[in-house]
Amino acid sequence: MTFDISIKIGGEAGQGIQTVGNILTSVFQSAGLYTMAINDFESRVRGGHSFFQIRISDKPVNAPSHKIDILMALNQLTCKYHEKELTKDGIILSDARFFSEKDNIHFIPLTELSAKAGDKITSNTIAVGIILSLTGMPVRLLEDVLKFSFQKKGKDILEKNFKAAELGYDFASKFKYNLNLPADNFDNSRININGSKAIALGALASDCRFASFYPMSPATSVMKNLSAFSKDIPFIVEQAEDEIAAVNNIIGASFAGVRSITSTSGGGFCLMTEGLGLAAITETPVVIINAQRPGPATGLPTRTAQADLQFVIKSSQDDFPRFVFAPGSPEEAFKITQKAFYLSEKYQVPAIILTDQYLNDSLFTIEKGVLTIPENIKSFIIEDKELENPELYKRYKLTKNGISQRVLPCSGKAIVRVTGNEHDESGHISEDAENRNKMVNKRFVKMEGMIQEMSSPETFNKESDILMIGWGSSKYAIKEASDILIESGIDIGYIHFTDLWPFPFDMVTDLIKNKKLIMVEGNRSSQLGLLIMEQTGERFFETVLKYNGRPFYPNEICKQVKKILE
Amino acid sequence: MVTVKDYECSFENKWCSGCGNFGILSAMKESLAELEISPDNILLVSGIGQAGKTPHFMKCNMFHSLHGRALTIATGAKLANHNLNIIVNSGDGDCYGEGGNHFINAVRRNIDVTLLVHNNQIYGLTKGQASPTSDQGMKTNLQQNGVISEPFNPVSTALALGCGFVARGFSGNTTQLKKLIKEAVNYRGFSIIDILQPCVSFNKINTYSWYKSKVYDLEDENYSPDSLENAFKISRLWNEKIPTGIIYKEEKLSYTEKIKVLNRHALIENNYNPEKLKEVILNIA
Repeated sequence: MTFDISIKIGGEAGQGIQTVGNILTSVFQSAGLYTMAINDFESRVRGGHSFFQIRISDKPVNAPSHKIDILMALNQLTCKYHEKELTKDGIILSDARFFSEKDNIHFIPLTELSAKAGDKITSNTIAVGIILSLTGMPVRLLEDVLKFSFQKKGKDILEKNFKAAELGYDFASKFKYNLNLPADNFDNSRININGSKAIALGALASDCRFASFYPMSPATSVMKNLSAFSKDIPFIVEQAEDEIAAVNNIIGASFAGVRSITSTSGGGFCLMTEGLGLAAITETPVVIINAQRPGPATGLPTRTAQADLQFVIKSSQDDFPRFVFAPGSPEEAFKITQKAFYLSEKYQVPAIILTDQYLNDSLFTIEKGVLTIPENIKSFIIEDKELENPELYKRYKLTKNGISQRVLPCSGKAIVRVTGNEHDESGHISEDAENRNKMVNKRFVKMEGMIQEMSSPETFNKESDILMIGWGSSKYAIKEASDILIESGIDIGYIHFTDLWPFPFDMVTDLIKNKKLIMVEGNRSSQLGLLIMEQTGERFFETVLKYNGRPFYPNEICKQVKKILE
Repeated sequence: MVTVKDYECSFENKWCSGCGNFGILSAMKESLAELEISPDNILLVSGIGQAGKTPHFMKCNMFHSLHGRALTIATGAKLANHNLNIIVNSGDGDCYGEGGNHFINAVRRNIDVTLLVHNNQIYGLTKGQASPTSDQGMKTNLQQNGVISEPFNPVSTALALGCGFVARGFSGNTTQLKKLIKEAVNYRGFSIIDILQPCVSFNKINTYSWYKSKVYDLEDENYSPDSLENAFKISRLWNEKIPTGIIYKEEKLSYTEKIKVLNRHALIENNYNPEKLKEVILNIA
């Protein structure tokens, strides 16, 4: 890595921080650089303190950095909170009148310059121009991105923004400070993508055609992406009256034969647990995204957490088989969404995907090639003509592997009966004790097949005596932390889980035997640690736990691991 | 030709003898047979309560779902395949209590399903507590001093929400009920029939003879169901005389007819199109 810099833009909600950040990220991407951007904001529409942080390098970067090179402060709080994150040579850019005497603070007259550009609203574009100038990006790259962003808003607005970009660019060219990043390695095989969009694409690549949801941060963005794609592809996004309706809508649609998805966050998932049980007992495939945020109740609505693992594995009354996955990156989110649809339909069980605000809202640079579209979709639905005698069809016929033939209602002579009550093979209510045992066992025996479908966790330097263990979105922070630790002379490896339930204990038991284990998790009780304990009998582990609503930074993991190893 | 016999089912009926639900069940079978809809072409969706069991007692495709949630299941199924003929069987507790929010929103959407509410003004399955439609003052094992709240008026509520087909039936008049069900199933959009139905085990006030002494058929009075204003007035009548029949009817586009992507094919009828998806991926900047 020849350079690794970070830029943070902070200010109030409503100041357009996200817009500035998104445009900057696009420009760096079009310069052929790798970027990783996080989006930190409060649960409010105006005021408060938010920031957007971009990390830029000539090599892939997939976790946020704790150090900032350029801090653009659109309010005083940004200076107060983040000044300490500056690198030795780092600078602060500010348009406010709150100068300190420090010589690393530079005044940027956004208001004055935007007046010159002809519209106050262009101040964001001026800010972008300034940063691009200070990083050595050519102004033409910005013009291309602006064209893409503002084309629909008309020629007048586009030209004002061009002018604003130039004003900002020229203003900052007088600074001595310049990072002079290379800008000539454009590679159109790469794109910037967040977890939400990757899930949406994964759903489309699974032939999912229906989504129902109730708006909730940070899950709404998945649906916004699907809604945008539905202009080109037959897809319906339904906004339900509540999460209960959302999950039942997708159960109804799936029952009728259309692959369906919902997305929510923990509080909404609480309401969905009733429907989760209905999907389970009726053996209707559904895919549910739980984009985690800190709880309980409303918790921290716009922030991140990994604290629903134990909940989603056990939620809803009684026991039943389900799949639980937690992707660690947009690539994994794209692939796991497809796997969830495939397995949910194959085994006729619900599949839950755990993401979080960090994965859903952060931008990662990925190779476009990883987003491969399958030529065919394997369907497990049985047609009437495939049945020997449709008149004798039984929806819950007992089989060796627990999977009964799934025929769609009103698709032929076969009568399809499903119910949330315990039922006999034909789908009629049954209170018979022997039948009850048979049906519970029928559903449970699927676990034997399901566990075979689980991928083993990703490992790195697994021979080391010390292993960090994580799951879901913290993957790259842990990966980078292990690189840093190894460089500093500590022999360490990691295990990262995406496939969490049924828990692949066979694959795990050997990996962790006689090792010092350090659980790295975004919750207070080390939920994966507890699960490993329960499933493998392994009892001893140390923890690096974070539950303040913020994502993991590699550096803080390193610090805590070192403390543990002292 | 479809006959009532085609709808027969050997599964044991679990209702009390004399239950008002029997009238609804036979009116359903008769109207479906007369509409030439065969059992393999009908989907019954139900919730929980005695009404929720209805689909078990006739031959049909069925989704017997959760308390209050029948309309949400029906909505999903209809969006996935709007060629399905869907009837929802629900009760006063199921639909107006537990599923109240879903009822409101199913009406607002104007999703093309027929809702039959078996309204006996009491909770039968849980043995005799007040329901949203119990009259004020009714004493039950739980409301020992009588019901305090105003009864929920499903007819007025459906009208207020813009429902295009609102009717009231009585399970003691299956000839009329059959006619209403046929009209409701043929109606393109959300149709509701609130069906008065005595609970012989737990409601000792609103009995067969109580209903019989009050109900009258709007058709006998040359009532025309095309005025919303008149419909509202009719919807408030209860204590002296209870009007039955079609209270309001208005043609309008149903939910799935208003979704552009469904104009040509039902959602389920589309083919997976990898080429189109590849284009989508290419166009991601």
